[in-house]
Amino acid sequence: MTDFNALLRLLTENEVEFIIVGGAAATAHGSARLTFDLDIVYRRTPTNIARLISALAPIQPYLRGAPAGLPFEWSVETIKKGLNFTLITTLGALDLLGEIAGGGGYEQLTPDTIEVEISGVQCLCLGLERLITVKRAAGRPKDLEVIAELHQILSETHRNQ
Amino acid sequence: MPEQNKPVADVDPVIEEYKKHVDVTLIRENLRLTVDQRFQQLMKMQQFAEELQGARRKAQERE
Repeated sequence: MTDFNALLRLLTENEVEFIIVGGAAATAHGSARLTFDLDIVYRRTPTNIARLISALAPIQPYLRGAPAGLPFEWSVETIKKGLNFTLITTLGALDLLGEIAGGGGYEQLTPDTIEVEISGVQCLCLGLERLITVKRAAGRPKDLEVIAELHQILSETHRNQ
Repeated sequence: MPEQNKPVADVDPVIEEYKKHVDVTLIRENLRLTVDQRFQQLMKMQQFAEELQGARRKAQERE
């Protein structure tokens, strides 16, 4: 099981700059779909990457689905050389995204975020309308049901206002 | 117009078809919860899914 509360607390307490996206963002907006991982877009500045490395080191990040024993080093250099990382940690599955299709990176997404409180910590979460456009831009058949649900959430939200 | 710049209000016939199958009652229930409560519920669902998977594995081992 992925401990969303603990992961978000760990990132926030270490002052990592990130935005919740993907299925967890859909949950924040009211989706009833089950997701097993936490997807975040992290800011790719040297300071933030250093914070990310320090914050996650205790929970032993490793490439999800990779055979044991691969030479994966959790370091600033590894993050700088790559962009998106699909990880398993002792707190569960965590996807670190430098950029997302149709959305860009942290700086491009920040204007379309909302602040949410989860387990006592304040986090940035991608706004509902931007989440829909990002999912549409990704163009994956598996997202069609998700997009339809997000549209219904948007309609319900407008109806309640 | 690039896909990412399209307004979300654009009607997409494929999405409209999928929308017919969305359970709006579940959405309404979730919208009554706080964001924090939605995440607690998600983790309970995860736990339940894992218990089901474990039960299935045990049943397969018995066969």
